[in-house]
Order: sequence, then structure tokens, then C-alpha cells
Amino acid sequence: MTTFIARRLAIGLVMLLALSVLVFVLLRLAPGDPIDAYINPSAPLSAEALAALRARLGLDAPLPVQYLGWLRAALTGDLGFSTQRAGVPVLPLVLERIGPTILLMAAGLAIAIVAGISAGILSAVRRNSAADVGLSVLAFTGISSPAFLTALLGLYFFSVRLGWAPSGSMTTPGAAFSVPDLLHHLVLPAVILSIGHAALIMRYMRASLLEVLNQDYVRTARAKGVREFWVIVKHAVRNALLPVITLIGSTIGVAVGGAIFIESVFNWPGMGLLLVSAVSDRDYPVIMGATLVIGAAVIVVNLLTDITYAAVDPRIRVS
Amino acid sequence: MKSNVSARARVRAAAIAALMGATLLAGPALAQSGSTITGGFDVGPGGLPGNFNPLAATSGFTWLNTYYEPLVIYDAGLTKLEGALATEWTISEDQREITFKLAEETWHDGTPFTSADVAFTIGLAKDAASGSVLAARLGAIDSVETPDERTAVVKLSAPDSGILSTLSQVMILPQHALKDIAPAELAASTWWSTTPVGTGPFKFVKYAADQYVELAADEDYRLGRPKTDRLINRYFENPAAAVSALRAGEIDFTYVEPDDAKTFDGNDAFKVIEGPSYVVNYIGFNHQAKIWDDVRVRQAVMHAIDRQTIIDSLYGGAADAANCGYVGDRLVPQGIDQYEYDPAKAQALLKEAGWDQINGQKPITWLTYYGTPQAANVMAAIQAMLAQVGINVVPRVVDTPTYNSIVYKEGTPDWNEFPMVYAGLQNGPNPAGINVGLNEAQLPPDGANIMRVQMPELTAALDGALAETDQTAAEGRWQEVCKVMNAQLPWATMWVANRYGVASTKLADFVWTPAPAGGPFAAHPEKWSRTE
Repeated sequence: MTTFIARRLAIGLVMLLALSVLVFVLLRLAPGDPIDAYINPSAPLSAEALAALRARLGLDAPLPVQYLGWLRAALTGDLGFSTQRAGVPVLPLVLERIGPTILLMAAGLAIAIVAGISAGILSAVRRNSAADVGLSVLAFTGISSPAFLTALLGLYFFSVRLGWAPSGSMTTPGAAFSVPDLLHHLVLPAVILSIGHAALIMRYMRASLLEVLNQDYVRTARAKGVREFWVIVKHAVRNALLPVITLIGSTIGVAVGGAIFIESVFNWPGMGLLLVSAVSDRDYPVIMGATLVIGAAVIVVNLLTDITYAAVDPRIRVS
Repeated sequence: MKSNVSARARVRAAAIAALMGATLLAGPALAQSGSTITGGFDVGPGGLPGNFNPLAATSGFTWLNTYYEPLVIYDAGLTKLEGALATEWTISEDQREITFKLAEETWHDGTPFTSADVAFTIGLAKDAASGSVLAARLGAIDSVETPDERTAVVKLSAPDSGILSTLSQVMILPQHALKDIAPAELAASTWWSTTPVGTGPFKFVKYAADQYVELAADEDYRLGRPKTDRLINRYFENPAAAVSALRAGEIDFTYVEPDDAKTFDGNDAFKVIEGPSYVVNYIGFNHQAKIWDDVRVRQAVMHAIDRQTIIDSLYGGAADAANCGYVGDRLVPQGIDQYEYDPAKAQALLKEAGWDQINGQKPITWLTYYGTPQAANVMAAIQAMLAQVGINVVPRVVDTPTYNSIVYKEGTPDWNEFPMVYAGLQNGPNPAGINVGLNEAQLPPDGANIMRVQMPELTAALDGALAETDQTAAEGRWQEVCKVMNAQLPWATMWVANRYGVASTKLADFVWTPAPAGGPFAAHPEKWSRTE
């Protein structure tokens, strides 16, 4: 196991290095740099100001020198400074955004899991009933609705029209922090983030449960006189959950993408919002730092998943 | 048994709904104490969210001016300069010396404001190493003398008609707080967003990253203690999100796009504020692309576009057609060509010029950084009008960094990447703003003449206007510039459109104007108040 972990960690480091090269090259291939982002086309800057800015941000050095300089600093934990935010170092900037994104994703996925599994069970147990058809229609609508559209509609109805939820931010500007205030701001984006995932989980749960309900051991349980409720909860649902759990695991990656939209619409101060603004500002150090931290997190999570699988299921060998 | 399951499901659903409902309806747990005005002060083209350094500001001055102040400032109508930290100023006869008498004021940390702060700030602003974007525009300043604490004398190497206008964007900074930071380190200093001190009516409290900036009233502000206790500037990713927050009652003010402004008409809860943008929109001809060399082709473009119909239908009449770089009787001479809509004349001009041989129906890329729905409609209308006379343009919308990377490309760029652009350039309050886009001396990389306009007569007219220091004579000079532009058409000038802000009617004495780069202008935030 130790060898396995060490090898996976070494591979992870190589992958991170490759990721940093890839992002660095892609950023330089993309049109526009931090200076181009800085110029207001309606009120342009002088040549001297542009040259000074370019020198200050280190953009006048050859590309390999720029990359090696960044890498050397990154190895010591220094990811540089944001080019658009005066004096803000990248590492704390990125680290402070992880919490809000995890909170939003966790809340969204929790709602999706509870709602999706409940609706899936109901739909399967009441197969072909009005409730099943209704939930299926809702699920298909949820799957086919893009996150930005549901976010804007949610914002319009629940914030602008009904006034039930704030239109954005994580807390009330200027107010002291409180958990109810945080939850008040969290509910709408989390629910909207959950819609697509809940719909998918519901469809998987329904299909999986229907298949399980036809299995011999379920029939046997019924024949033994077990009450239908316990047949479903203890025998059917538990086994039907396995493919759903796999789906939920793979959903986490997709949720990051969804969170980027949701964070932009709701001004939620997470990694998504940070990346969107960094890309539009061509803030190279922040983009590099954020992708590196996200990449490291994904590698670590994958490693932990593999280790967990091995621990849970002895049939899987870690080698 | 089935009913048992569904009963549990119902109970669970009800519990979730109750929990969510309770949270939704809970509202912000802690009410803010004291009166607070919250706005989207950095929304739209005049804003620069996330920038705290006035030396590096290319816009965002409306907000920066709530806690920093310049020596002089434009009035809210952007018509004339008035005193801010300078109570009065005099200009010597040879136009080489400006003497400022300074107000009695203290910095937000209690340290007295003196002429040494003025000399220190202008020194920093002149030093490009500090990250100052104003350095080149302050090049005429030789030195700043401080005969006493309340007097600062700015000495110029040569008369500069635009120097006071430039100084209106130089926010005076505290020498005692910044003197120990090397100029080259200043731009990366955390001071700007953590512990800045200014002299304005509000003082900095905190910046919640990418969320908002909070200020508190400066109790001993020289023009009186602000009527509101706190000022909050909320950040939004786009104007539409700010409009949602405004409608939801979470903010009291924001810039809005023209289409959104219309939706507030007749709504008593809001007041729509309208003003000229001081940005001239133009169709830029790339003078290196060769297809626009014949002036008759450029004239044809002007005659092919029904500007008045576009202004009436897409701008709701809130724009003035421009026949040179600016509008208004003061700077536009009588008798210049109005370039009326006349597609037949446009076709005739193209035929005379031999357009079929020059380009014919080949598609011409029309580059822009304007990504708003309104700009898309305007460009679609113009595309159809130009197609009608035989000019086939294909709009290409890119983000601002991409646009800048294309049009500023040094060396020998591919001119066909931007044979034509749709853009805007600041033309006021000082008309000298258009110089950077038209003067031969401003060709990239030396300047922002991105369309590579090389018209000696126009350059001479611009140089003459820039050198003129007498106000009345200067207006005549700018009229001459207008005349040359109108005849030679370096660009096809379209219009100067209005821009909008919307404020809650709960606000009293609130002053905002859609100034280019956000001003600054004398908004007197100390007088703003909000009724609950």
C-alpha cells in the first residue's frame, strides 16, 4: 500500500508539472495578456505607461524565463501576485476561495442526493402512476436545463419577484457574519446547482431500483412475508444505490463546472468566480495558481478514492 | 405498506421544504446599524472593480473619489473645474506656473494634510515606476514647490492646456503612510486594499474579496459630517446582476444598460439618471488595409448608414449624431457636411471610386469589443445598410483583451484581422481625448492611433489645438480639428450616446453622472442620504 501511495503521489506531481506547462502555454497562445486587459479602449494609456506595466509584471522576459521563474517560486510555495488585484498574493487568494466553493457544492449535492434518491424511489415504487410521469417530466426538464438559465430564472422569480432570497453574495454586505445569514444566501444557488444533479440521480435511482425489484432475492424476501416497506428499504434500495453512488462520485467533477456558472450569476466568492474574473482579466498568476490547486485537489481526491475502494472492497488490489 | 412508504416520503419532503422555507424567509440575521447606502458604484464602463490604487486607475474614479480627493475636480455637469483639496488656484501669465491654495483637512488617521502630500503625490504620479498610468500626461510638470503648508506651486516646462484636467484625476495620497514604500513596490502593496487613508468624506473600513467595499463616515470631514453612516460598493459580474439586486431592493443605485433603463420608466420607486457618455462611437477604417484609401469610399460608408433611424429606434433618441469626433455647438463649426442618409449617393460614390476593383463583395471583418445586446443590434442594422450599397461587412465580437491584442499588435500585423472596427473614444470633458486615436505621433507602439490614421492636416490641427492655452482660442482650434475630420473622414463617426444610472427614490441629494472613466466629478457624497 505504501509503495502504491508513493508511486501515485509521484505520478501526481508529474501530472501537476505537465498541467502547469499546459496552462502556461495555453494562456500565452490565447489572444490578449494582462496589459491588454488593463487598457480601457475608450481611454487608452500612453506607450510609456504600457512599457512600465509590462516590465513591472515581468511580461517583457522571454517565455521560458517567465515559466522557470514562476516554477522556481511555486516550488517554494510562492505562486506570485495577482496582476489585477494590487498586492494580493495568489496562494491565500486561491485558498480562501476553496471554502465557499466546497460549501456551495456540498450543499448542492446534498440537496440533489436527498431529492434525487427520494424522487427516484417514489417514481420506481409507483411505476407508471401520475407521480412517476410527473417526476420523470420534471427530471427531464431538470437534465435539459442549462445551469445559467435556471440560475437566471431562479434569480428573477425568487429574488426579484418574490424577494425570498438575496440576489447574490455570500453574506449581507456590511453585516456581521452569522450562520442564518449565510444559509439565507446559500439556499437559492445551492438549490439551483442541485437541480440537474437531482434529476440525473432520480433517473438512475429509478432505473436501478426497478431492475432490483425484479431480482430473485427481492421476490424471496416478499415470499418470506417481509413487509413491502422493509423489502424496499432493506433489500432493494440498498442494492440499487450502488450505481447511484458511482454516479454521485463522478458528479463531483461536473459540479465544479456548474458551480462556475452559479458562482458568476450569484456573485458567490468561490473558485469559479475567481477563475472567471481571472480569465477575463488575463490574470496569469491567478489562473496558474487556481488550476494548480484544483489539479492537486483532483489528484488527491482520486488517490483517496482508490485507497478507499481498496479498503472497502478487498477484491480490489492496489498495485 | 405502500402508503406507509409514501407517508414517510411526504414527511421527509415536508421537513426539507420547511427547513428550506425557514431559511429563505429568515432574511439577513443582523440588521445593519446606522444609515447605509449600498450601490453598484463600479458597474458599467465607468467602473473598475477590484482596483484600489488611483495611480493605476483607468476608470472607477466615482468610487475612489468617495475616500480620496484630487486638488481640482469637474462639476457634476462636467462643464468646468472647481476646487476640491485646493480652495483656489491661479495660473501665471506665462502659463508655466499654477499656484494652489490648499484646504485645511486631516487624513482619515488624523494626520494633517499639507502641501508636502501634494508634492509627494505628483512626484509618484509622474513616476511610471510607481505603476502610475498618468505619468506621460503629467510630463509637462517640472517640479512642485511648497513655500508653506497650505500652498503648492506646480511648475511646468511648457504651457499645457490639459494639465488641470489631468490633475483632476490625480488623487492626493498621504506621504506619511506611503513614503517608506519604494515606488516600484507601491503597485503591489497591500496598503491600497487594507489600510488606505484619504481625505474624502468617507473612510475605508474593509474589502470583502470580490464582494463589496465598505466605508464609514469621516466624522470630521471639512465640508460637514456625511449624512449617511456607511457607504457600500457591491461588486457584480455584469450590469444585469446589478439590476436584479436593485429591483430586489438590495442596492440603491447602479449603472444600467439603455435597454434596462427603459424598464424603469414610470416606476415611482426609482429615478433614471441620464447623461452624455462623452464617448464618440465610430467605425474605424484601418488605413493600412488599403481598401479605404479613397475618401469617396469612406464618404459612401457615411451616406449608407441611416444614423438617425438607428438613434431613434435603437437608442430611443438618446444619442447625438456625430459628424466629427465630438458633438455640441461649442466645438462643432457651422456648415460641415451632415452626411445625410442617401444610399443612392453612397452607391454612386463607390462606383466612382471603383469599389468593385478595390474590394467588391469580399467580406470585410468588422471587429469590436462591444458585447452588449444593444451593440449587436446596432451592428446588425449597420451591416444590413452597408450590404445594401455593396459593402459586405462581417461583425466579429471579441473580449477587450483580445481586441487590444489585435489592434495594438506591433511590427507588421495582419491588417485583414481588423480592416474595420466599431469602437469608442473618450471625447470629453476635454476634447483632447480624441488626440490619442488620430494623431500621427500616436501610432502604436507610441500611442493609441490603432487605425493607423496618417493625415498630416489632421495632425497639424490636433497639435495646434493641444498647444493652445487660451480657452476661447482653443475652442476655435478644436472647431478646426472637427472640420478636418469631417472632410477627410479618418473614421466614420456615428454618435455620442447617452448612458444611464438608476437610483432608488429613497436616496436624497444623490449626484451621479455617467462620466467617462467614472470622472471624478463633484458628487458630494457627504450630502447623500437615504430614507428608510
